[in-house]
Amino acid sequence: MPDKSNLQQMDALLTKLKENQPGTAVVRKKITGAEVLLQCLVAEKVQTIFGYPGGAIMPVYDALYHYADKLNHILVRHEQGAIHAAQGFARASGLPGVVFATSGPGATNLVTGLADALIDSTPVVCITGQVFAHLLGTDAFQETDVVNTTIPVTKWNIQVAEAKDIPAAVAKAFFIATTGRPGPVLIDITKNAQNEIIEAFDYVPCQGISTYRPKPALQFSQVDEALALIKNAKKPYILAGQGVLLSNASEALVAFSEKTGIPVACTLLGLGCFPTDHPNYVGYLGMHGNYAPNVLTNECDVLIGIGMRFDDRVTGNVQKYARQAKIIHIDIDKAEINKIIKVTTFIHADAREALVALTEKSLPAKHTEWLSKFAALSTLEYDKVIKKDIGPDGELRMAEVIHKLSEMTEGKAIVVTDVGQHQMITSRYYKMKDPRTHITSGGAGTMGFSLPAALGAKLAIPGRQVVAVIGDGGFQMTVQELGTIMQYGIPVKILVLNNNFLGMVRQWQQLFHGKRYSFTEMQNPDFVKLAGAYSIRAAKVSERKNLDLALKEMLDSKESYFLEVVVGKEDNVFPMVPGGAGISDILLEEPKAS
Amino acid sequence: MKEEFTLELEAENNFSVLNRIINILNRRRVRIKRMMAHENESDFRRGGVLMLLFTTPDMMERIKDQLEKLIEVDHVAYFSGGRHYEEKSEIVVGAE
Repeated sequence: MPDKSNLQQMDALLTKLKENQPGTAVVRKKITGAEVLLQCLVAEKVQTIFGYPGGAIMPVYDALYHYADKLNHILVRHEQGAIHAAQGFARASGLPGVVFATSGPGATNLVTGLADALIDSTPVVCITGQVFAHLLGTDAFQETDVVNTTIPVTKWNIQVAEAKDIPAAVAKAFFIATTGRPGPVLIDITKNAQNEIIEAFDYVPCQGISTYRPKPALQFSQVDEALALIKNAKKPYILAGQGVLLSNASEALVAFSEKTGIPVACTLLGLGCFPTDHPNYVGYLGMHGNYAPNVLTNECDVLIGIGMRFDDRVTGNVQKYARQAKIIHIDIDKAEINKIIKVTTFIHADAREALVALTEKSLPAKHTEWLSKFAALSTLEYDKVIKKDIGPDGELRMAEVIHKLSEMTEGKAIVVTDVGQHQMITSRYYKMKDPRTHITSGGAGTMGFSLPAALGAKLAIPGRQVVAVIGDGGFQMTVQELGTIMQYGIPVKILVLNNNFLGMVRQWQQLFHGKRYSFTEMQNPDFVKLAGAYSIRAAKVSERKNLDLALKEMLDSKESYFLEVVVGKEDNVFPMVPGGAGISDILLEEPKAS
Repeated sequence: MKEEFTLELEAENNFSVLNRIINILNRRRVRIKRMMAHENESDFRRGGVLMLLFTTPDMMERIKDQLEKLIEVDHVAYFSGGRHYEEKSEIVVGAE
């Protein structure tokens, strides 16, 4: 009796013979590596690609010419715009964003976006062209060591120098980008691999990698330990981060909070994961967050961090952070547990799985007195800050603009912010109701993020109002993407809050650097004319009486629309946790000069 | 208080894995006193790294978590002191 290996060999031989018999042979089409790549992307159900062509990726663009019916390529105006657009697309849809760029400067222009996507856990797949394999290391034209350059800013990357290796690389890239804690990946493909002709192939999506365990199994012993702390808590408190959104755990979080009566605050990236109009919602937490959640972090007895990483903008001085509390940390990324804050116990798991298990096993409870403490401090914040912010006299203020925007859109738009004062104001005053409706650059703090990210978000969710809220500084960092908006008629709304300053830096200069406004005042162009040059309808408003109508016109427009609102030059964002201070030392107003 | 640790790591033997490992240490300014990287004799697609590091116990634990996060890294272990490094490096050299 032949052994198993002989049978397998025979089987392989017979299959080959069958293929070679006249009339029954399977004629496999020969295609280029570039086309292999595009077929892989189609197999991964990619529909939209953001990119910019160049010498080393020309074979891919040549093949793309024939794939216009399958792949929608958006020609941006700068590679940084491509990756931010892909990030906006990914954050709004939950699908991976895809980017094409050429070698050398094309690839290095992606670095900021890669860093941004890595720290903010955004699934992005970047494909870069590279010089011919035989030229690697010769300082050839537009040759940069892209793999080594992007190691610190990618979850994974690879260089492919043969066409046959493209399918496996693409399959791995999509699997890695979208599983576990999502992140950006990069495939660098040499030009010879793009040109090389190989036999057509069967695409096999990646199902797993032996050395990569993206989804830890929920440990019920960890759940029980957490429950024991929660059961005895008198003043428990949930900090919800982006992990809740990434694991589609918003409903599970609401269910857990409602059953246990535990108040919920959101981090900057967590905004939208819990409805802002829910009675258990106590605000936004962080350096410019709401007063109550910041102050009461240092009064709670059990702190439950879910899908968040205790970033320094959340903790303030870690030596003064929640010292009195027992801390439970739920996160899918084990490296985040005990990284910044030593926790009492943790659940290393997907947020949704952990929340479902916790809800099932927890006892119904109410914490009315504890919630009323949040309410009392929120009233104090309202009287000292919010009332003046949204109903001021004198110059227009950023907060009243965002407050109006929130009211007029009923908190249902996708708002995409840049970085700075307007970002903090939007986080405070735009009342998000749904998951994935707040997109911003959190960990990296990338100015110039908003405009391209907004166009990406609009392409991902075309049926939803998308408003880019930007400062005058950040707007000019990626302003060229107005060209992309024009070319494709992307009906994104652009709201620039113009104070002719790099406002957040100016605020710090005012408060902590003796009001020395060192290189923060900006002389700006006529933004309305600039938008007009790109055939984008545009308006400018500088008086309160015209604000409502201007916002309405912008929101009602079926096309892209640019609205500049001139706000007070020295408008500040409060509350504020000063650098080095504890989170509960948050200031409600400017300190009095001594 | 900083002290010596021996770090032992097994991974897929791909281009750039070693750079990713070293990047994690460099970014945290961890001193590498000695290092040995090798392909597995029985399977060139896999390899390992042995390092003698000088850092705090707390940082060592965080580095282990970060290294375990790397896609191609399979196994990470560390031991207090340099004795393990001496013993292991002799085994690796001996095998070659």
